[in-house]
Order: sequence, then C-alpha cells, then structure tokens
Amino acid sequence: MLRYLRTRQAKLTPILLLSPALLTMLFVVALPLLFSLYTSLTPYRLTRPETIETFIGLRNYMRLFSDPDFWSAFGRTILFLAIALNVEFLLGLGIALLINRITWGQRTLRTIMMFPMMFSPILVGFQFKFIFNDNIGILNNALQSLGITDQAIPWLVDAKLAMFSILFAEIWMSTSVFAILLLAGLFAMPRDPLEAAKVDGCNSWQVFRHITLPFIMPFAFIAMTIRSLDVARAYDIVSVMTGGGPAGRTELLWTLIARTGYENTRMGQANAMAYVSTILSIAFTYFFFTKLVAARRYMGGAE
Amino acid sequence: MSRLTAKALIATALVPLIAAPAAAQDYGNFEGETLRVKLIGGAQYEPLYAEISKWEEMTGATVEILSRKNHFELDREIKQDIAARTLDWCVGSNHTSFAPQYGNIYADLNDLIDAETLAAFVPLVLEHSTVDGRLVQLPRHSDVSNMFYIKSLFEDEENKAAFKAEYGYDLAPPETWSQVSDQAKFFANPPDFYGTQYVGKDEAITGRFYEMLVAEGGQLFTDDWEPAFNSEAGVRAIDWFVDLYNANAVPRGVPNYLWDDTGLGFASGTVALNLDWAGWSAFFNDPENSKVAGDVGLVRAPKGSSGKRTGWSGTHSFSITEACENKEAAASFVTFLTDHDRQMIEARAGLLPTRTAVWDDAKGEFAADGRDFMVEVFDTFSASMSEDAFTPPLIPEWIEVSNELWPRLQAAMLGDMTSQEALDEAARDALVIMEDAGYR
Repeated sequence: MLRYLRTRQAKLTPILLLSPALLTMLFVVALPLLFSLYTSLTPYRLTRPETIETFIGLRNYMRLFSDPDFWSAFGRTILFLAIALNVEFLLGLGIALLINRITWGQRTLRTIMMFPMMFSPILVGFQFKFIFNDNIGILNNALQSLGITDQAIPWLVDAKLAMFSILFAEIWMSTSVFAILLLAGLFAMPRDPLEAAKVDGCNSWQVFRHITLPFIMPFAFIAMTIRSLDVARAYDIVSVMTGGGPAGRTELLWTLIARTGYENTRMGQANAMAYVSTILSIAFTYFFFTKLVAARRYMGGAE
Repeated sequence: MSRLTAKALIATALVPLIAAPAAAQDYGNFEGETLRVKLIGGAQYEPLYAEISKWEEMTGATVEILSRKNHFELDREIKQDIAARTLDWCVGSNHTSFAPQYGNIYADLNDLIDAETLAAFVPLVLEHSTVDGRLVQLPRHSDVSNMFYIKSLFEDEENKAAFKAEYGYDLAPPETWSQVSDQAKFFANPPDFYGTQYVGKDEAITGRFYEMLVAEGGQLFTDDWEPAFNSEAGVRAIDWFVDLYNANAVPRGVPNYLWDDTGLGFASGTVALNLDWAGWSAFFNDPENSKVAGDVGLVRAPKGSSGKRTGWSGTHSFSITEACENKEAAASFVTFLTDHDRQMIEARAGLLPTRTAVWDDAKGEFAADGRDFMVEVFDTFSASMSEDAFTPPLIPEWIEVSNELWPRLQAAMLGDMTSQEALDEAARDALVIMEDAGYR
C-alpha cells in the first residue's frame, strides 16, 4: 500500500510542479482566447456591453468571407510579410557577415546597430511620415535639390510607393533582429569545419554556401518566426504613416481590425477578423518551425 | 481721529479684501474627497491643468488624473471602460463628435450646474453639447475653420493683372469656394508651390466633405436617416477636391494629410491658401515657426454655390459620469475648469472660448497688447462661430459612417472611381450601418 502511494505521489509530482505554469497559461492565454472566440460569435459592441449576450453563430465570419475589403487586406498582409521577412533576412545576413569580419569596434557597432529597435514604432512612423511627405519631406527635397527629379513624388499616396514606404520603415526598424540573431549564430560556429574546408581547397563562396549558411539557417528560422508574428501584427507604423490608405491601398489586417473594433466599436466582428489573422500567424509559425527542424536535421546529417 | 472713525476706516479698507473672494465663485467645500478624472493630453491643453491645484486649495478636494492621452486614445480607453463596466471615475474630457457614441454614461448637466452659470456660455455651443435633449458636456473651447492666406501674393500688382487677364475678375481674398479653386490653380507651381491643400484621410476628410456638401446645398441624411450624400450636391462637393487634385493645385500627398501636415505646410510658405483651425493662428504668425509670419491674411470660410459658408465645427468639453459618487464636486471642478479666468488662459494661447464674455475680454487684451493679428483672428472666428458653425449629425454612428465615406472619397480623388460611384458605394454601406442600428 505504502509503495502504491509512493508511486502515485511520484507520478503526481511533475504535474504538481507544472501546475503554476499550466494555471498561468490557462488564465493568461487559453481563457482570453476562448472568450474572444465566443465574442466573435456575437454582435458585441464595445459601447453596448449587453450585446455580448446575443449569440449569432457564424454570422460575423460569413460577413467576413464575403467582404472583398477583408480579403484584399489579408492578401496584402501576406505580401507585406513575405517581402519584409526576405529583405530583412538578406540585409541582416549581410550586416552580420560584415560585423563578424571586423575586429576593432565590433561591440560599438553592435550597439549602434540596435538603435532603430530602441525607438517606439509610433515614433518611427512619424519620422518616416515626414521623411516621405511629398511637399515638405526631406526625401523629395533632397531628390529635387540634387536634380534627380523635378516632380513631387507622392511616396505615401501611389499604391506601390506607399507599400514601399511602409515596408522601408518596417525594415529599417527591425533588420537588426535578424542581424543580431545571425551574428550570434556566426559567433557560435565552430572554426574546425571552416579550416578543414580551406585545407580541402574550397573557395569563399563554397565555404559560405555549404558550411556557414546551413549552420546559421536555424538561427534565421528562429528570427523569421519571431518577426513573422511581429509583422503579421504590424499596426503602429502603418497606422501613423498611411492609416491603411489612401483608398485602402495599404490596408493590412490589423489596421482594419483596429478600426472595426475600436472606432466602429464592432468588437465581435473585429474578433472574427483577428481569429483569421491568428490562423495566418499559426500557419507561418508552423511553416518556419518545419523549416527549422529540417535545417537542424540537415546539420545533424552533416555532422 | 476717534477710535470709531479709525475702526470704520480699517473696516472700509478691508472691504475689497473680504469682498474679493466672495465675488469670485464659491466652488464649495469637498474636504477629503478624491476626484478621479481622465483628461485629454497634448501641448495646447496642458496649461489649463496647471490651474487644477488652485481648485484643490479652494475646495480641499484632491484630483487624481488617471489618464492624459490624445482624444483618439482616450476614446478607446473610455469605450474599453464601458465594455468592462469599469466606469469608476468622475470627470472625462469629451468632444462633440465623440459624445453621442457613449450612450447614457454621462450625466445631464442641466441638473448639476445652475442655469446662471450655463447662461454665460455661447448658446449655439451649448446646443452642440446636447445629445438627445441632455446636456452631457460643458464646453471648454470650440473650433471652426477659416481661410488663411499669404497676403503679399494677393497684393502683388503683377499677380493681380495676370489673374484678371486669365479669370476675368479681380484677385482678392476668396469669398466663394469656386474662387478658391481658380486662385489655387493660378498660384500653383508644383512641386515648389501649391495653391491650396486639404486634409485627406480619416474623419478629417469626411468633415471637410460634409461642410462642402452643406455649402453646396446638400445633406448627409434625409429626415428619416437614409443616406442622401450621393446627390448632385454631393458630387459637386467631392468634385471640388478631385478637380484641384487633378489640376496639381494641391500637393500630391494630400490623401495622406492630417492637421499637422496642412498646418506645417502653410507655415513652410509653400501654400497660398489654407483653410484651418483657429489653434494654428499664433503658430502661423510666429517667426520662429513660420516662414509666412507677418504676411498672413485671414477671411471667413468661403461660401458654396448655395450661398452658405462652410463651418464644420467641434467643441472640446468636459463630462461627468452617471457613476460618479460625488457629482457635486465633479460639477464644481468642471465649472472651475471652464470659468472666465481659466478660459482667458486658454484664449491667450489662441484657443476659442465658449463663454460669451471671454470673446470680448480676450480681444480687448490682445488690442491693448498690440497683437493686431490675434484681434483679427478673434473677430473672424467669433463671426463664424456664431453664424456659420454646425456639427456633424450628433448620432453614435457618425464615426462608423465616416469610416465608410473617407476611403471612397480618397478613391474618387485618386481616380479609382468616379465621384458618383464613390458616393453611391459609400451610401450603400452607410445604409447598412443605419439599418443595423435600427434607424430604418
């Protein structure tokens, strides 16, 4: 009997030890998620709290799926994500490789590289809004003074240029996330395979392509996972710079969701949109984790 | 001097000292009370809050400021409080455009503030502060827009002759919106100089379109709340914006402009005519901030084809929650924040008062100080506040309808849709909102 109790206790111990974490997760993550899922099935309006009690089934979702504005914002968010992540990765990789090569002042450079991340996204938004202003902005003034153009280029109005401008601001602020993580990968890299490759007569490109890059890819995928979640929720910069406009040309999921939820006070419908956006984020995270596992397996095989 | 005479003299000398506090308003005694408040923040609103300590000294109460945010963030926070049923504060900053959304969370001030105090406010502004027959706001300062222009451009003889030759009438500060259009095209020399500009997104462009619609003789809704802005007057109103955009008479970026952009644009000296709020007046005429300082002219907002002037107006205000446990203290506090002396402080900074007497007293002070431009500003704005000002429909759905309108207005400006298509589509969506809300 005593033995039985002891075995039972031993089995319960891990659960007991984990329970604070599990309960925290339950209250902080699971319950709010379930609550917002429920509100997405109601016509909940912030200013009329009693509307939360009316159950309307999938009506919000049906409305959403037949709304072309929502699907445009959805598609634009995926495009925004794809471009931002790829450019940030390439620039981050370039910066990490360059910083890895220098021996003097590396720490200072690493700190300087982090500066853009220290600004609040709202400030970054205002900064670039005035840089890209067509009339009094620095960029157009510089281009006109240098004689490159005699036109006022409508950076924040033209459909392609407006997307470019908000992407530029987003990339400017967050490329260092990639650079820092990739640099950490480069620091952690063992020297032996590199030296062995050189002895075997590999050129720099071959060393980079077959040794350095596979080694740092897991770091890249971690950075991509973090950034994909960030970019999918991009709101502040876009809201300040263009507000999703003009005429919906830069509307992303979260500018649409915030307007629907807070300004129009239709929180039920906004939560339905947010759920679709969450599914998008889960899909991206799953994709990058699959890639991460594959990259690790490849490295395992290479060893 | 007999003892009695001396006493009488001393007593007489003391009369003003004793009478002074008695003459000032009695704000009551609320010893030990703590008033929880949420106020609008921002450079131009802060000087008033420095006065709060005086009310605390007079009444013995303490003011706890829970929030000091810009209006959009404050609006969000208040909506969250309503949703979470956590309206545990007493006084909040409010605005005529936002007030109707909040349902019945705010108390009727007719029951809390005496009629004599209320009678000192401009009647039209009190009317704008009323929702469903309840005075839910005590007006703090009002705003309406008038036309600022660069004076020297209109005085230049060459300009006068060239304009007359091209348009067949004399160049003078504009009286109608069609003249603004001609003059804007005449002065425009992109990308270095533009005829005029306008805000191009959010509620800002909806408001500008709305006032133009009214000036063109149109209306936003019919009497039974069916959207009516897709009328001929509506198309004329939106075409004014589209035409200037296509003629390159306004900066290409206007669809993305908000108030800062138009204000800073005019101050940069690259725009001839600029319809803007009174709050910018001092900034435009300040040599440290503005390249057009000393050369700024001001006329009342022009008329549309119906003969009516544009006059979209809004008022910043204070409200008291129904949930407030000490409404008397809250009423004393908001009365103090909007009393004569407090409004004088705000008027000196260029904000438009809501008390009739402050208009005259502030103007008198500007005249005595030789600030002629500010006298002109107060003259012009007081005329438009009393004769031209009107608010958007005071219904909770205003912002939501606006959110359907402005992307379509932008689409018409950018040529993605014709003016009629844009308005028809917005009217269709606005109708759904009105139906959902039970108006039809």
